[in-house]
Amino acid sequence: MSTTTPAVIDPRRERLVALGRRAAIRLGGGVLVLWAVATLTFFALRLMPGDPVLAILGGPSANPTPEAIEAARVEFGLDKPLAVQYLFYLGRLLQGDLGVSYSQHLPVTRVLVEQGGATLELTIAALALAWLLVLLLTVVTAGRGRVVGGIASLAETLSAALPHFWLGVVLLAVFAFGLRWFPPAGSDSVASLVLPAFSLAIPLAGFIAQVTRESLELTLEQPFVLTARTRGLSDLAVRFRHALRHALLPGVSLSGWAIGALISGAVVCEVIFSRKGIGRQLYQAVQAQDMPLVIGISLVVAAGYVLANILVDLLYQWIDPRQQEAAA
Amino acid sequence: MNSPILPLIPLCAALALLGCEKAEQHSAQSTTPQQGGTLVYATDREPTCLDPHVAGDMPQVFVAQQYLDSLVSMDSQGQIGPWLATRWEVSPDGLRYTFHLRRDVHFTDGTPFNAEAVKANLDHMANPKTQSSTAGGYIRQYRATKVIDPYTAEVTLATPYAAFLEVLAQGFLGIQSPTALLRSRDQNCESPVGSGPFKVVRWDRQNQVELVRNPDYNWAPPTAQHQGPAYVERIVWKFIQEPSVRFASLQAGEVDVIEALPPESHEAARRNPDVDLIIAQPPGNPTNGTFNLRRAPFDDTRVREAFVRSADVEGALKSVYFGEFPRAGGPLSMATPFYSGDFEHSQDYDPARAAKLLDEAGWTGRDSEGYRTRNGQRLRAVVLIGARTPPSELTLWEQVQATTRQAGLELVLDQMSDAQVTARQAAWDYDIRIGYWNTNTPDVLRIIFTSAFVQPAGVGGYHQNSSGYADPGYDALLDSALATQDAEQRRQHYFKAQQQAAAHYLQLTTYPQSTRLGIYKTAHGVRLEPSLAVTYLYDAWVNK
Amino acid sequence: MTDLTLDRTLAPLRRQRQWKLPPVGASLAILFLSALLLAALAPGLFTRIDPLAIVPRDAFQPPSWAHWLGTDQSGRDIFARIIHGARQSLLIGVAATAIAMAIAITLGLLSGLGGARVDRALGWLLEVLFAFPSLVLALLFVAVFGSGVGPLIVATGLGGAPGYARMVRGQVLAVRNAGYIEAARALGHPTSRIVLRQLLPNAMRPLLVTLTMGVGQAIVWASALSFLGLGARPPAPEWGTMLSMGRDFIANAWWLTFFPGLFIVLTTLATTVTGRYLQQRLEGRLP
Repeated sequence: MSTTTPAVIDPRRERLVALGRRAAIRLGGGVLVLWAVATLTFFALRLMPGDPVLAILGGPSANPTPEAIEAARVEFGLDKPLAVQYLFYLGRLLQGDLGVSYSQHLPVTRVLVEQGGATLELTIAALALAWLLVLLLTVVTAGRGRVVGGIASLAETLSAALPHFWLGVVLLAVFAFGLRWFPPAGSDSVASLVLPAFSLAIPLAGFIAQVTRESLELTLEQPFVLTARTRGLSDLAVRFRHALRHALLPGVSLSGWAIGALISGAVVCEVIFSRKGIGRQLYQAVQAQDMPLVIGISLVVAAGYVLANILVDLLYQWIDPRQQEAAA
Repeated sequence: MNSPILPLIPLCAALALLGCEKAEQHSAQSTTPQQGGTLVYATDREPTCLDPHVAGDMPQVFVAQQYLDSLVSMDSQGQIGPWLATRWEVSPDGLRYTFHLRRDVHFTDGTPFNAEAVKANLDHMANPKTQSSTAGGYIRQYRATKVIDPYTAEVTLATPYAAFLEVLAQGFLGIQSPTALLRSRDQNCESPVGSGPFKVVRWDRQNQVELVRNPDYNWAPPTAQHQGPAYVERIVWKFIQEPSVRFASLQAGEVDVIEALPPESHEAARRNPDVDLIIAQPPGNPTNGTFNLRRAPFDDTRVREAFVRSADVEGALKSVYFGEFPRAGGPLSMATPFYSGDFEHSQDYDPARAAKLLDEAGWTGRDSEGYRTRNGQRLRAVVLIGARTPPSELTLWEQVQATTRQAGLELVLDQMSDAQVTARQAAWDYDIRIGYWNTNTPDVLRIIFTSAFVQPAGVGGYHQNSSGYADPGYDALLDSALATQDAEQRRQHYFKAQQQAAAHYLQLTTYPQSTRLGIYKTAHGVRLEPSLAVTYLYDAWVNK
Repeated sequence: MTDLTLDRTLAPLRRQRQWKLPPVGASLAILFLSALLLAALAPGLFTRIDPLAIVPRDAFQPPSWAHWLGTDQSGRDIFARIIHGARQSLLIGVAATAIAMAIAITLGLLSGLGGARVDRALGWLLEVLFAFPSLVLALLFVAVFGSGVGPLIVATGLGGAPGYARMVRGQVLAVRNAGYIEAARALGHPTSRIVLRQLLPNAMRPLLVTLTMGVGQAIVWASALSFLGLGARPPAPEWGTMLSMGRDFIANAWWLTFFPGLFIVLTTLATTVTGRYLQQRLEGRLP
């Protein structure tokens, strides 16, 4: 018989376990949320006025024959009662079948795969760029006195006030039409990513910078920072290595919300810059009353957003273990 | 801002370019065609399917023209010439067309072209499963094709149809490989197979279609400028929806050719020595607002004419379209076979005449806001504006609204989704409906103005004849135009048809449809094929 | 995100010690907002020109003495349209925020006072709404109910409601155990009176700042939807619609797009600065 001494609790392992449990709960909740989203969009689109059959058959410039209309109606299952359609729909969703887009005659999953990459590119680039701008601005200017702080704060407030659709048009006009530094359209090259990413990143950077800078200034007053300075570390090292980690927390939690804002912004930016992407696809799908595509994109966006928020939440927990006791 | 800010365009200079016949090309120097290279072409709308048999709108026929050949060709005079069919005979009763086919043609998938292929294609267009709105609609009279021998096909129609050869020349009825047609509709939409100078490689949705040269091509139509394979090795057919972005891409040389050159950029394009323009009108019925004759106030010819006379469309076109779009006065565009210029001025702005007509029609009262009334009812008309109506069209109608207001007529611009427009159209709940119809035959008048097309085309309720005009005499006139193959007789019939349509003021015709290409200095030999003024890149080459 | 997290996030905003808002900025902001309000109520004070008057021969005039901000493609005066558009934009901003707040207060109160189960259920509902980025939610809403100013207001309000609801809930939870609430209960006041007179005002006071900035945000959201053609349709003088209409002509006539956008920026700036200033003043009063 082994004597069991009270096991030394490994705090790290405890944290991981708690984190894992939390993740599982959040994921479960996430699935429920997705179900609600699917139901909401399904019924919302059914309520839309107008006959989806005409949307399928090519929209306003087509002149469909009666046989063509009937054939389309049967093919897309639009002749069955609503409840039946809903159940069929849920069943297919569970199998991973998102249906076929009315307007593009392609499986929705294929549309998502082809178009999703460009939006993901744009979102990640914008977020990275925003954080870059935030770090540059706040780390350099925090706690350096009223004038510098005032100017920086003004820049941040101004940036946050810029609507991304206006900024996009202005950037396009100046840098693409006027100076011709960047291509005015396209989704292929890095050069075509620059202007759209900036038009999303600048307002976002304004928001995050406001929160981060004040948090950083507070952190810089903390005792441990003084300790670090007395140890002889350079100012920049103190800022980056010690203070920043603590000051990032509000910015990190804002990033979760930011992803949602970026996706919304992507809709407009993809239209302005003629980029591929699910944002523009969603907009066109709504106009064309293409139900499977609207639902598919909404689900993917919702799923991505839920996942991103869970990740941010877990990240926050990991960075700041103090949260865990409070969360219990 | 570095780009020049343009003052208001001198209208006279622009007007000098109006009314030009078919094509307007600035520099015509021809250097020796170079082999190889990639031509980048940017258009505004993406097709829904690369097979033009399915549905059938303009973006589809523009891209399909590069990889599909037609049975016959049509030149700029409206004469039908050979293409995949070398010659043909028409039976005296007009019901049987016997086509003698070329023997040296094959599709890019290896399938030989023969009478079986012709049969497969015509059957495909007529098959309801294909959901062919345009091509299927044009061959309603089609009954069957008989394969007499491998290179002779006999097509049987239900009623005489003199426009049959004309519609066969359109890219909408392009000939595809019968092997490819056996695949599912969606597969064929993705990668159709033709015998044309190029073939489809890949369709990258929302971005571009990639075409590559067909090295075996040797059966160009007589309307082409050379024979043998195309010069260009690759075509990238891009979709750039935003007009300003599309034009900026051209000016920067990022694309070689753009389509739908925005009117606001014409002046900049003309002043740019690196850019050429090609502007041509396709045949058909010009852009118009068709009146609903089935209800007041447009059940009265005088009110219709008064509305037309009180709308200053010329003034509106000058400002909205920078004077680049001429006024279309008659029911047919000037590129249409058997077009007559006698009706171009039947819709000129004449407010005095409008006032006189309205007085005659009994709209003599005035209400508090200055609109005319009759028996207490205000003179009011509703025009349907869909969500995808271009902003310039809306602005045009706003200006029409402002001028008709001066005559005492209230024009209401009712904005709604496209689905609702279709529903209202089906229910005949409108006074004016905006539309146009591009086709290379004057038979379009039969489609839009005869009683056969008043009935709903399908369950959706859409009816091609938006005016509700149902005059047995007019029906007979257009049917007799179809019944004869004699060109002079057809000319006389269609003259009368245009005359009657113009005299009854069935539409307010605004501006003709047009194909407007901007060509960068790197591209040469870009042309428009004559039947529908569709871009034709077979004779084009690039030097970059 | 738990309430504590929210608290920690907002905490830095509350303790702006080193950075003081210069009174100059706040005064300018308040002045601008007042002018805007005045323009919304009495546009005739600022311009005599009819914003809908079509004068084709005056199309695309650059800014001049006759037309301060130039004219658009139908010859309409842009300054006049912006002034008249102020009414539309402010109306939409305020109405949308009001709707958002109404929903938020209902949900927040129920959540904070209704007990654990209700709280969890409502929390779950909020998660569902949160799962849609606002524009996607607005797109769906407009798709079903059509475009136009009415659906635009509701769509924008719906987009903002979940965020406010969370804040209200947090505030309600924080306030409900406060001393004065206990006292009121001990005195036997009916619950509804406690809620209306004591709880709600104290819970909402810190949110006044958020509300002010929220109006600015709502205006931007509504403009974005109109920009996409899903809100006020042309020729309405709404700022987002004007931006969209001018987009095609940016190479020829940049003023069509620039000035409406500038006004949106200035309005957002003004509401943000005013909101911050209010917050500072309020902080001075809080214990």
